[in-house]
Amino acid sequence: MKGWSRKSLLGLEEMNPEEIIFLLDKAKEFKSILSQKGSSLESLNGKRIINLFMEPSTRTRIAFEVAAKTLSADIISIAESSSSLTKGETLRDTALNIQALGADAIVIRHSSPGSALFLSKTIDVPIINAGDGAHEHPSQALLDIYTLRDNLGSLEGKNITILGDILFSRVARSNLWGLSKLGANVTFAGPSTLVPKDFEELGAKVTHNLENALDGADAVMLLRIQHERQSTSHFPSLSEYTKIFGLSSDHEKILDSKALILHPGPINRGVEIDSTLADCSRSLILEQVSNGVAVRMAILYLCCMS
Amino acid sequence: MAWQYGWQFFIYAVCLEVKMSNNFNIEGGHFVNDKGVVLENKNLLIIDGKVLFSPPPSKRDSHITKINAQNKFILPGLVDMRCHIGSTTSENIKMINLSATKGGFTSLLAMPDFTTIADNPGAVRLIKDSVKKESNISIHATGCITTQAEGERLAPLGSLKEAGIVAVTDCPRCPQNNEIFAKGIEYAKMFNLPVIELPREYTLSKDGAAHDGPVALKMGVKPFPRTAEEMFVQRAIILSKYINTPIHLSSISSRGSVDLIRIAKQNGVRITADVTSHHLLLTEKSILGYETNCKTSPPLRQEEDRISLLEALIDGTIDGICSSHQPVPNHKKDIEFDLSPCGVLGLSTALPVAHRALSKYCEEKQIMGLITRTMTIAPSNIMGLEKEFIEEGKKADLIIYDPRKEWEYNPSDECPEIMNSPFIGKTIKGKVEKTFANGSLVYSSN
Repeated sequence: MKGWSRKSLLGLEEMNPEEIIFLLDKAKEFKSILSQKGSSLESLNGKRIINLFMEPSTRTRIAFEVAAKTLSADIISIAESSSSLTKGETLRDTALNIQALGADAIVIRHSSPGSALFLSKTIDVPIINAGDGAHEHPSQALLDIYTLRDNLGSLEGKNITILGDILFSRVARSNLWGLSKLGANVTFAGPSTLVPKDFEELGAKVTHNLENALDGADAVMLLRIQHERQSTSHFPSLSEYTKIFGLSSDHEKILDSKALILHPGPINRGVEIDSTLADCSRSLILEQVSNGVAVRMAILYLCCMS
Repeated sequence: MAWQYGWQFFIYAVCLEVKMSNNFNIEGGHFVNDKGVVLENKNLLIIDGKVLFSPPPSKRDSHITKINAQNKFILPGLVDMRCHIGSTTSENIKMINLSATKGGFTSLLAMPDFTTIADNPGAVRLIKDSVKKESNISIHATGCITTQAEGERLAPLGSLKEAGIVAVTDCPRCPQNNEIFAKGIEYAKMFNLPVIELPREYTLSKDGAAHDGPVALKMGVKPFPRTAEEMFVQRAIILSKYINTPIHLSSISSRGSVDLIRIAKQNGVRITADVTSHHLLLTEKSILGYETNCKTSPPLRQEEDRISLLEALIDGTIDGICSSHQPVPNHKKDIEFDLSPCGVLGLSTALPVAHRALSKYCEEKQIMGLITRTMTIAPSNIMGLEKEFIEEGKKADLIIYDPRKEWEYNPSDECPEIMNSPFIGKTIKGKVEKTFANGSLVYSSN
């Protein structure tokens, strides 16, 4: 396909800006079709897509299901508890079986970083990374970038702050690659234990001061504090985190009047963000969710049709 | 029919062995003596398995196979201080034997992490019996410091010594409890058993699979930071000093560890250390793409660490080079990076890999002297092993190494099911052409 030659979508680090824009433009086309109520497309009619989710997920899994169904593809979701992996089968063998069953694409979420790349090397089927450990979550970052562009226009020179649990966040990493490639300045903010200085070598600005992080930001992306990934204590308590790094209405005075708030969800209301801020006019949280379907339609379409 | 040919080949091979085995005239080249000094080879013979510098009258007319060693080096057989054998099956021991002799190792220390872990005399005897049956090099058994290498109770070191171990270690694990470790060292001292520690503090490196730097951060892989190693390097230095006993630190990987060891040695602490050959050549960048064949413990670190390790080797802060050979079957490496076990093959590549890493710093003869000091002399001394050097009347325990020969490394030649090497398919410069152990030719590349 002209403008797109990728079979798999493994991460944004490997994509160039033109590819990202091409995909986002495709998503825009799909979004306008979606806005016409009850519309569906036949683009992926007859294609069999497998959602292989080895980690719990609600919105990403459902967004891929809705996206696939809107494009008339058959989609089958497999969760860890219902797969042979719980019986000791390796991911490689599970994937080979799925390939043998005639899958046209596999959407994978897995706790191991690099698992999507591993699958793409193992089997000859398009692989879409729906989150691999703390490595990448490209579809989430693409929908974040889509939402930001929709609201801010070009991202060239824009200041985007990503706040919270960066260390364990695949969303932060994918956004760093994608936003930087489109010319934005990315700041990672949060406690020093969750935002190591080494991120500067990857191109992010790092700060442990919330006020500095918010000052001059065109958008603030909050990340959920992921208790399940923190094997050791990275901060003393949720209440202390909220006190020092939680976004509250007090910060309105620092934030630019037009600054936007994003959150990939699920939100811990009252932890990383005040409930009132999550629902205020700056918040694009629900817009992100609806854009997520259009972006995933574009991903499935481009990967299956290339 | 096949069996007939099989027998014919066997008989031919036996004849060849007899014809080839005992008498050789190694012509030209240089040899390295027991001090690591490189000397010109004028007339080095191996007669009836023994090194001679001029043939005895009785053998002058007998058949002597000529070996051309022009532009090559004759080194004493290498000694490996860290090798993980795994199982005691005869196939496995034969495979290790092949890898070792192919790489020029005639003596190695088997870490205690066999399928039957070496924490009791019975297990040690089983290992020693298996090795004796299937190997034609010297494979020395080590025993655990703590039972099951779990770090909770002392293993019966006295009985293990009686069963024939040469050193104690929990490698690839590391005792975390300071009291147990200190008592273990003190107890081992009573039996004159060298203690080997692979320094790693676990709470700082839990599930750590890569150096704690931008590469691990980008890949989302859990880190094994320098601090986790250096903290236990310092622990070993303190314990060695106060208990006044030597401790050998295995597979040092960080610049900070080198600094600590250097200062400790200057202060007269009886600490010694080694580094793996792959840490001398590779950095954390090798794991990009989730290369499980580059996943090691300790992890490959940064360029500054690598350079520091090389400098420390040259100035004597680091005493030795080990292979840390650890065969892992393909199906255990062909999985997700974080689930794959650590460990790489090293025996058959350690010498040329170390040679290449050093080649930017020293000229060829210096390197060969250094190789002998760090891969033969120091390991034998630290572990208290008897070693035959290239001296008149000694049993031939030597290798012929061509420093310029280029070859493609394919681990499937040794075992197609186990190919966990970072150098798979790579062109390697420098090749062991012949290995003699216990007076016999045990490997020939031709």
